[in-house]
Amino acid sequence: MAFASDRTAVASRPRISTAALRSAALILFIALYTAFAAGPFVWVASMSLRTTTEINADHYAFPWPMHFEKFAVAWTESNYDTYFFNSAAVVLAAVAILTVVGGMAAHCFARYRFPLKGVVYFLIFSTIIFPPQVTVIGLFQLMVDYGLYNSRIGLVLVYVAIQLPITIYILEAFFARIPGDLFDAARIDGYSEWAIFWKISLPVALPAISTTIILNTILLWNEFLYAVVLITDDDKRTLPLGVLRFMGDQLEDVGMIATGLMIAIVPVVLIYVFFSERLIQGMTAGAVK
Amino acid sequence: MAVVTLQNIVKHYESGGAPAVDDVSFTVEDGEFMVLLGPSGCGKSTTLRMVAGLESITSGRLAIDHQLMNAVPAKNRDIAMVFQSYALYPHMSVRDNLGFGLKRRHTNRRLVRQRVEEVAASIGLTAYLDRKPHALSGGQRQRVALGRAIVRDPKVFLFDEPLSNLDAALRVSTRAELVRLHRELSATMIYVTHDQVEAMTMGDRVCIMEHGRVAQIGTPMEVYLNPANAFVAAFLGNPPMNLMPATADGGAVLLGGRRVAAVAAEGDVLFGIRPEDLTPTDDARAAVISGRVASLEPLGAETLIHVDRGDSTVIVRGPRVPSARLDEPIHLRADPGMIRLFDAATGEAIRLPEEAMT
Repeated sequence: MAFASDRTAVASRPRISTAALRSAALILFIALYTAFAAGPFVWVASMSLRTTTEINADHYAFPWPMHFEKFAVAWTESNYDTYFFNSAAVVLAAVAILTVVGGMAAHCFARYRFPLKGVVYFLIFSTIIFPPQVTVIGLFQLMVDYGLYNSRIGLVLVYVAIQLPITIYILEAFFARIPGDLFDAARIDGYSEWAIFWKISLPVALPAISTTIILNTILLWNEFLYAVVLITDDDKRTLPLGVLRFMGDQLEDVGMIATGLMIAIVPVVLIYVFFSERLIQGMTAGAVK
Repeated sequence: MAVVTLQNIVKHYESGGAPAVDDVSFTVEDGEFMVLLGPSGCGKSTTLRMVAGLESITSGRLAIDHQLMNAVPAKNRDIAMVFQSYALYPHMSVRDNLGFGLKRRHTNRRLVRQRVEEVAASIGLTAYLDRKPHALSGGQRQRVALGRAIVRDPKVFLFDEPLSNLDAALRVSTRAELVRLHRELSATMIYVTHDQVEAMTMGDRVCIMEHGRVAQIGTPMEVYLNPANAFVAAFLGNPPMNLMPATADGGAVLLGGRRVAAVAAEGDVLFGIRPEDLTPTDDARAAVISGRVASLEPLGAETLIHVDRGDSTVIVRGPRVPSARLDEPIHLRADPGMIRLFDAATGEAIRLPEEAMT
């Protein structure tokens, strides 16, 4: 008996310390990763409260005194109110069109069989093969030809085009998992295909729909390349272009760039904080039943 | 209420191969409970989905109340369907699930609400009206699916294996409830199942299907007692009818060298007898089958005796405590009125003259 209890005592001691060691390693890893990921963000945030002179004196000093007035200056004197409105309008319109058009396309791909389905699917997805840098020159010429250059509507259309494939892809995968009996039941209940899309497909796929809405909103809110190529007028610029205002040929107002970046980033962070749970839910959702 | 007529209905899928449904014709009378029964892949569900309008009809005529329905979309056929998966709308409460079809047809919210509550009360769902389907048990979901059909007061009710996802006890009580419902509503119903107990207990008539074709249509007792072919004989009954190869010499059927029935046929036949129509006997000369007891299966109410007769096994439904002993020889007498013969090549039943037994 004594022998047996000795053995369990010996065996149990290292087991506890292994578990503790493991969680310590995990916490260390998470802490390092958080520092790595959040570090630049914290740095820009601290710089947004300091003047360029202060930053030049010491890049990493604690922001004291805090120059909150820089935000007001950026907002009122550097046209950030217009940029903010432009960003909001362009992103809202693009995301709304993406959700409805992408949802309908995904519904069709998931539910119906039609001629050339594979070809249409390939055509939509072929657009993501090329990096944007390859197509942007051609796109620029196209937009000029159609009178959509330097127009917010043109930018909305481009945003819809670039985000449509991934939107359809995410939604189609989800729609395809909705049991077909649901649609049959709605048909028998007397509903048209159009009504079924709005009353069954969309509400049942709400987790996936909100995933695409959040994803598209964040990506397009931060979009820079297409915006800088296709927009020239200052009063049509979106927020990511706002930083250009503080970049001259000779001089870079680093402090104001940081302030401008913070104005652009804060909405994204807020969206993520409030919707991240839903985002994860949509990405991992499996059970439709 | 309505008459449903199927005339030479054929369904070919684009992928080719044999037709899923091949020349099916039958009429479901007004208020009749018709069961489509068959093994999986026999085309019974496809047939039902064609009646519902969820599958296109390759050829043939489908009529409801003598109106051609082939090209009428499902939403305009005024039918209701209960699915095996129940197909409840997961984002709607029970109340909305029940009212969804009604709202499409009636704009009067108050009437819809009233009808939904009335039906919910009749099937015991009042307490669950505001729950979502995922917060219900399997049996409750099944009742919601049923309620959704009743609420609409449709011309025809269609059921696609509605009980197969329920546990055994619930299945028995729901079976009884469906029969009661059919009596109360006196509605035309078509019910698809692979469970012969459901078919026997619920159907006014049973349509047994095999490989997309109708094998036999009749009342449950008709198809049980007088199977039209060897497939129906072997499919119905648990255990099914014993079928043994035998030969006919133009006057009598010879089974293992014994004359067991008089018949005008000639050539190879199948000798069929149900397990309950065989009885052990001590008189070896009166027996039609002799063999050795291979195994005994006591089921409580009865015991199944498996008799090994060399080239085949015969199952006998014996009393609770049978006199037969394992591995001992056994002689079996057949109820002469219950002997059925089938053509060995085509499987079709061969009519026996009355009092055929020698």
